[in-house]
Amino acid sequence: MTQLAQAVALGVLIGGVYALLASGLTLIFGVMHVVNVAHGAFLVLVAMLTWWMWRHTGIDPIVASVVTTPLMFGLGWALYRGLVVRIRGSSASMSVLLTFGLALTVEGVLNVTAGNKFRSATPGYFEESYRIGGVSLPKPQLYGFLAAVAVLALLYVVLTRTWTGRAIRATAQNPDGAALVGVGATATASLAFAIGTATTGVGGSIMSVLYPFFPASHYDWISRLLGIIVLGGLGSLPGALVGALVLGLAETLTATYASLRWSTLVFYVVILGVLLVRKQGLFGARLREDVAA
Amino acid sequence: MKWAAVPLAALVLYPVIRPFDTYQQTVLLLAFLLAVQAVSWNIISGYAGYVSLGHSAFLGLGSYTAGIVGVHTGLNPFLAAPLGGIVAVLGALVLGAVVLRTRGHAFVIITIALLLAMQVVATNWSSLTNGSNGITLELPFWSRDFQNVPFYYFFLLLMFATIGFSWAIRRTKFGTGLVAIREDEGKAAAIGVDTTRYKIVAFCCSTFFIGTAGAGYAYFLTFLNPVGAFGILGSVTIVLSALVGGRGTLWGPVIGAFLVQIASELATVYGGGSQSRVLLFGVALVLVVLFLPAGLLPAISARVRRKSTVEYTDQAGALASARVEVSVAAAAPGPILEVRGAAKRFGGLVAVDGADLTVQRGSITALIGPNGSGKTTLFNLVTGAMRADAGEIWFDGRRIDRLPPWTRGHLGLGRTFQVTRLFKSMTVLQNMVAPLPDGRWRTMLAGAVRGHEADRARELLGFVGLARFADQPAGSLSYGQQKLVELAQVLMMEPKLVLLDEPAGGVNPSLVGRICDIVRGLNEQGVTFLVVEHNIPMVLGLCDPVVVFSRGKPIAEGPPQAIRADPVVLDAYLGEEAIADALT
Repeated sequence: MTQLAQAVALGVLIGGVYALLASGLTLIFGVMHVVNVAHGAFLVLVAMLTWWMWRHTGIDPIVASVVTTPLMFGLGWALYRGLVVRIRGSSASMSVLLTFGLALTVEGVLNVTAGNKFRSATPGYFEESYRIGGVSLPKPQLYGFLAAVAVLALLYVVLTRTWTGRAIRATAQNPDGAALVGVGATATASLAFAIGTATTGVGGSIMSVLYPFFPASHYDWISRLLGIIVLGGLGSLPGALVGALVLGLAETLTATYASLRWSTLVFYVVILGVLLVRKQGLFGARLREDVAA
Repeated sequence: MKWAAVPLAALVLYPVIRPFDTYQQTVLLLAFLLAVQAVSWNIISGYAGYVSLGHSAFLGLGSYTAGIVGVHTGLNPFLAAPLGGIVAVLGALVLGAVVLRTRGHAFVIITIALLLAMQVVATNWSSLTNGSNGITLELPFWSRDFQNVPFYYFFLLLMFATIGFSWAIRRTKFGTGLVAIREDEGKAAAIGVDTTRYKIVAFCCSTFFIGTAGAGYAYFLTFLNPVGAFGILGSVTIVLSALVGGRGTLWGPVIGAFLVQIASELATVYGGGSQSRVLLFGVALVLVVLFLPAGLLPAISARVRRKSTVEYTDQAGALASARVEVSVAAAAPGPILEVRGAAKRFGGLVAVDGADLTVQRGSITALIGPNGSGKTTLFNLVTGAMRADAGEIWFDGRRIDRLPPWTRGHLGLGRTFQVTRLFKSMTVLQNMVAPLPDGRWRTMLAGAVRGHEADRARELLGFVGLARFADQPAGSLSYGQQKLVELAQVLMMEPKLVLLDEPAGGVNPSLVGRICDIVRGLNEQGVTFLVVEHNIPMVLGLCDPVVVFSRGKPIAEGPPQAIRADPVVLDAYLGEEAIADALT
């Protein structure tokens, strides 16, 4: 019983972090139908920056996101305005190929500048944990979870309570209609891309503590995060949340009762199973492109 | 094809003429291997437009198949090679059956995850794959004097086979249908293309030769491990090759493969090894997507084509036509289409509200009504582009409201669209041969570019007066001409009932009369029509009966003259005051 409680608690903590990592991806997809394959690379980039700052200044990795978040916001904005906007009119597959190219470029830059080796930020609380009943909650996991929840809550408030957020959601649902009431598609899309990329600021910081990383680990991450949003339903934030929790629990439960080695695969089997029953994922609305006009 | 003969012959003869150029031969054989993969990838991602970012997983799958079979049975990897292909096809079949049923992005996402998943399996299923220690294969059985020459010919042969396969696919209705899916999947389904089956088969076709090549590649390397066999860099080179050369063309991926392989070789020699290769490929991919999205081959051929000019606006040609036979089996009069209580909601908006509609066999029934009254939505429910929330739809004695759009097409239900949806990058003739009149595999694999299909297509084009445009890109025709081509395209399916969505909308008035003549001519031969149209004089002249739609359901039905005076109809169109005016 304790074993189960431990697995579930850990699964929820991990799931919360995954939800943050996937939130930017699903936001960007929801607004502009771009599968941002470079999202994982951005996370690794932030993790590298965070590690570097932690190493040289001793600043706490999660606190370091105060620096990296605006940086990534700017990078997202610049990339959208400079590159992504150029292919807006062409087919959806081009945006996948473009962001795939971006992911490789980031990986390549990290490879050349930082070298191809594992790194991990290990602040003082790295191996400590809280105990509640028989359940132990590792401090880094807990802090990461709390930071993730805070950012997700902030994101939720921005999207639902501010004019900007409403503009983003309006563009996601009906770009032409939004344009008619004065919401410019390009401005909104750049903003959404920037916000989506900015979430990697906190996400990457947490990652630098929780998961050892190296330049090529963004493939692992993008595979998992895309799995999460396919499971949850492309473009749906609640879907990403649920998908992330499913992945977190699948990992800890498989690790507890079977073997950690198979946990990723268990998750993919879950995805394929869900897609068999519900083609559009758990929370996915059928996209407009699914029906002929 | 002819221009390719010389370089290909040179490749065949090269090891004979220069048997000791081992390094060059190795670079070339790797280029062949890459070409096999890029040409294969092109079938699903170029023709059908569904991009796979994990296609090298099938190379790994083929390698592991040969490796495992070799370890357990001692079978030579060359002999086990087709087995590698079969395993790859089975993998694609399972994956495709799950993720290719939807449109959109699930496919590309799953292909990214595929590589990682395969790595996990290969690493952890140690009893079969020997885990991360990998598998060592037997050494080549031939004398070392031959070096890599047998591999050279193995991959060269496979490259020829793959190109031939891709060429053959492109000439069938299957190939034409794949391009149709890339251009407009909803439209493809409406003309009888079973999009799910097409995509899954295309995915399988795109893996066989890769899996086969994988077995040979494992033998060439003599060692396999999970990270090497399922690395992302392999997929990157495949995508880059096809993109650089020209996605969706036959030779583009081949040319691209040679360019990428040679560039990658130069980078290794002069550019600091594999560390910088990722950066190089990444930047190259970004640049190609931004500045050369169509690829080299299409860019060059577009430049060549620009020099020859074409005369498009030939109204006289468009107005002349020949008579054509359409085969509609005679049947007893009675309803051909019955809609019973059909409903469709979009959130709070009720677009079709429990509508009943009957179309009598042999009639030209009109469906008129104010904008937003649900006429096009009703069309979408009948043809299967959308699924009704409630109600039944019966066609020719069968209930069809749960059938996919293409099956409805095969039963004899055709439609045109309010805004024409021809496949604009295809020629008019290719547009004409894309429809699939029935769901048999034989029909799907029948040749499209010549023979019976093409003859019939030309005949029908002649009927609508556009035969001379057969080889023009469909996008270059005028709007009215596109409407006619779309009608002719539907006739390729030998429909019993054709739904016309605003056939006269946006069309030159002289063509409106022409369209009416065509519809009447076909109707006399037994084709039933259901027409949505705002051009009331045309409706009153052409159709009988006329059904009036308002707020999601019919409010009146009758012969044109009766409808014209019906106060309910006037109310729906013009409001109550108009009726008061009319009555006083």
